Amino acid sequence: MFKGEIRKQSPKNLLLLFQILALLLLLAYEQMHADKMIFIMAMGLILIIYLSNYLLIKISSGDNYIFLIVTMLITIGIIVIYRIDEKLGIKQLTWISLGIFLFFLVYFMVKRLKKIDDWLYLYLVLAYLLFIITFAFGDRKFGAINWVSFRGFAFQPGEITKIVLIFLLASYYSNTEKWRHIKYSSYYIMGVVYSFIALLFLQKDLGTALVFYIIFASIQFIYEEDRKLILYNIGLFLGSGVLGYVLFDHVKIRFQAWLNPWIYIERQGYQITQSLFAIAEGGFFGKGLGMGHPDFVPVVYTDFIFSAICEEMGIFTGIGIVMLFMIFVYRGFKIAISQENRFYRILAIGISTLFGIQSFIILGGVLKMIPLTGLTLPFISYGGSSILSSFIALSILQICSEDMTSREDTDE
Amino acid sequence: MNKEIKRIIIILTVLCMTFISLIVYISYFQIFKASAIKNNSYNKRLWINEQTILRGSILDRNGNVLAYSEKEGDSYKRNYNYGSLYSHIVGYSYREYGKSGLELYYNNSLLNISDSTPINEIKNIVIPNTTGNNLVLTIDHNIQSRARSLIDGKKGSIVVMNPTTGEIYAMVSYPDFNISNLNENWKEISEDMESPLINRAIQGLYAPGSVFKVITAMAALENSSYETQYNCIGSEKIEGYVFKDYEGKAHGPIDLKGALVKSCNTYFINKSLEIGKDTIGKISERFFFNSRIPFDLPVKSSQFPYKEMTTDVEVAAASIGQGKVLVTPLNMALIASGIANEGEVVKPILVKEIVTKDGKVLKQSDIEILSQGINPLGANTIKDMMVEVVKSGTGVNAKIKNVTVAGKTGTAENSSGKNHAWFIGFAPADNPKVAVSIVLEEDGSTGGKAAAPLARDIMLYTIENIKD
Amino acid sequence: MYSILALIFKYIFIIVIYLFIFSIIRLIYLDIKSMDAISFEDRAYLKLINRKDSLPFKIDEHYIIDGDIKLGRQNNNDIVIKDQYVSKEHFQIVEDEKEYYLEDLESVNGTYLNGDKLYDIVKLKDGDIIRIGKIEFLFVNRE
Repeated sequence: MFKGEIRKQSPKNLLLLFQILALLLLLAYEQMHADKMIFIMAMGLILIIYLSNYLLIKISSGDNYIFLIVTMLITIGIIVIYRIDEKLGIKQLTWISLGIFLFFLVYFMVKRLKKIDDWLYLYLVLAYLLFIITFAFGDRKFGAINWVSFRGFAFQPGEITKIVLIFLLASYYSNTEKWRHIKYSSYYIMGVVYSFIALLFLQKDLGTALVFYIIFASIQFIYEEDRKLILYNIGLFLGSGVLGYVLFDHVKIRFQAWLNPWIYIERQGYQITQSLFAIAEGGFFGKGLGMGHPDFVPVVYTDFIFSAICEEMGIFTGIGIVMLFMIFVYRGFKIAISQENRFYRILAIGISTLFGIQSFIILGGVLKMIPLTGLTLPFISYGGSSILSSFIALSILQICSEDMTSREDTDE
Repeated sequence: MNKEIKRIIIILTVLCMTFISLIVYISYFQIFKASAIKNNSYNKRLWINEQTILRGSILDRNGNVLAYSEKEGDSYKRNYNYGSLYSHIVGYSYREYGKSGLELYYNNSLLNISDSTPINEIKNIVIPNTTGNNLVLTIDHNIQSRARSLIDGKKGSIVVMNPTTGEIYAMVSYPDFNISNLNENWKEISEDMESPLINRAIQGLYAPGSVFKVITAMAALENSSYETQYNCIGSEKIEGYVFKDYEGKAHGPIDLKGALVKSCNTYFINKSLEIGKDTIGKISERFFFNSRIPFDLPVKSSQFPYKEMTTDVEVAAASIGQGKVLVTPLNMALIASGIANEGEVVKPILVKEIVTKDGKVLKQSDIEILSQGINPLGANTIKDMMVEVVKSGTGVNAKIKNVTVAGKTGTAENSSGKNHAWFIGFAPADNPKVAVSIVLEEDGSTGGKAAAPLARDIMLYTIENIKD
Repeated sequence: MYSILALIFKYIFIIVIYLFIFSIIRLIYLDIKSMDAISFEDRAYLKLINRKDSLPFKIDEHYIIDGDIKLGRQNNNDIVIKDQYVSKEHFQIVEDEKEYYLEDLESVNGTYLNGDKLYDIVKLKDGDIIRIGKIEFLFVNRE
């Protein structure tokens, strides 16, 4: 029996080993300006992650794999970000610490909240509010309006809207009886989601629009009793996709750059071809950390972080990341299936789909498997809003993994 | 299992499939596409090496420097000594336009970059690579210059080689372009309708016309259909289609030798059906039709698609080098060499040696027999016929005093309306030292009039000047 | 020299990442194997509320109640739990006309139903929580 106990520790210890090795290597890499502060900060993060993994088992009766997987992804991400840009690496370190803190905060707070499945209108208002903020204060960055600057602090409301959308859908589909008295309520929900997608389209944030659509389509596919609606949804989506292609130049450009980036290599195809060069150069094992030139790829620390990873750590690491995301999504769905409470079950499905599809869209994009749309790679890309919102979503998934039926029983 | 769970599992399966497709795609990308993408000239990483490694020189067989690099500020500059003379062999290496020719296909040797294995990586760290390797070519600068001056203004290609060793002495393709100042006239070059960027010697596919008859003649020897006589009346009708001899001239009673000497179309058309497309096809494939000739630069495959020929007319046309037959000039030089070399087809060599900066030979190209095109007896029979072609037939313009020359002319009709003029041959016939293949694209004249004199000149020049 | 380090580490990194992935897959696999061994839809069963790996002894996530069952430390019980708080024969569940009754077998540390110590035979209903020592079971009966 003890043997089993020891073995259970092994992924955690492997993670620790990985982090310490990486830290040593990075210290050697930046030996010219190896700073005591940086070392202490990194050690601090390692400690936080180790403790979090340890504590979570004690605190939460739920799943303890998802957090472990996420910490591995985060480690790979921060190593590469730090290697590309030292300052960003340190910032990312702060974001992650903040993210982990937020994870526990949200975990304890949301768990205490009751009847959160009843707040449909609140979620609705919140979502629109976030859109209004984006339009009112938004800046254009990389061709899309999805950044809001507040006192020199840039932030993407869209990241939070994703989670609000999932709450909205969960709240609606877990109480279908309640909404039955309103005729065509499902159509209204679909209308609301499409209004979100349209707004994202106007912000030129195609990636997020796609993520919204797929989350909605998945939940609708599972829970909608009016099966016609699903067909309408697919039809409408394809129709608006074609319309978008014809009407909007930015859609057309992305599509062309995908079909043949080599003839547009100087302009539209520049990003994607640079990404392909990086991945191709890496080979199976990579050039070695610090030995490649990921800095040739534009926006490499956010959208194209995967290309940098492949160049320096090899596509074996790349495949490893894909596998980690796959296990994560699998766990998420497993959580959903074992969850008895419908609201939390839908939340779990929504969040797992969010991580799954978002990582697929951006990974497929940088590989030129599908047209490229700007999205961050969850937990790996640099960025405060991305990291924080991802941790919030993770925290909710953690709650979903617990047995909510028995909790209600004991609470009563 | 209830519906809800079933649907959840469907969504999960779809998501997992997308991830698996990612893994499959990324592996596919790395295995099949990565190496081509890496070498795209827009990949800035390629040029990083160039800044730290002195690119090797390219020399001819006598040590004349054709291309070299020198330090200029922080990086190296590539210089080409002979303007357009080596535009297709050496090629170019420009940051803006990428690479071509040997600069492209021997890039790793020139930069001394080895395959990325762990051992090589460690070796590279311990002893950083700073200088590339030199290439020593089989080209003779004088012969190359001579060949270039012969074809000047004419469009086409000349290949001069040693028939027994496979060494290429000269390989000219015209029009060409000046590689030493690409920056000034790149637009002009790349948009030129005559496509000077193409190396016609290995990338040009031409209708061979009568020079192909040597293949048909070998096939005739092979299945003894040559023994019967034939009476030429100047035309031959196959399935209602009339083939004519040059200017409709009748040759009267004629045998294989006479037919080859006088380049009698009707004889070969008549015999081709007797010989059969399979025998001709088999012989042509021994001389590397329908397959790639192994060479230091990529060669287009010559075509004799006998398996696709369904009518007698197609076979008849092919037997005299018209219709569906297409060849590269290098391939024709190889056929001439094969006949000169008692039927043995040698591998053509362009890069003789790869030498390190301090003179150590890393790789040496050895003589390699690729195939036995025809038995020695048959080869000598054809050789005698080709000697007669130059002595008294269509190739008299290639005659050299005191040297027996073997050759075959060709005048190939093509879609442009102006004939290609061909000549293939070798000399001296009893101890071959040089083989040539000349094509003058859309020249309008005959091979005997236009190509044979050039062949004579270059063969004589080579015999007089070549040092082994 | 840094480049040599980088070279060696890139292989080590990949090995560690894959070991990590496989150790997680292995754990998940073991988890599922112990769970999916039996299908228990539409049957009465006990579900472990504690996290399985927080308990230092062998215990399953689910126990199907098939007829009468006895729980205890001794090996002749239907459910064997090697915990020091569990008596040799701790409690039993008896089935009678599709109803289930819980009875403590005079265990040392007692059996608790929904927080109250059990002194008598009690009829179980769906959602009841049975506790012995640290171990908590949820009684599930979806009939």
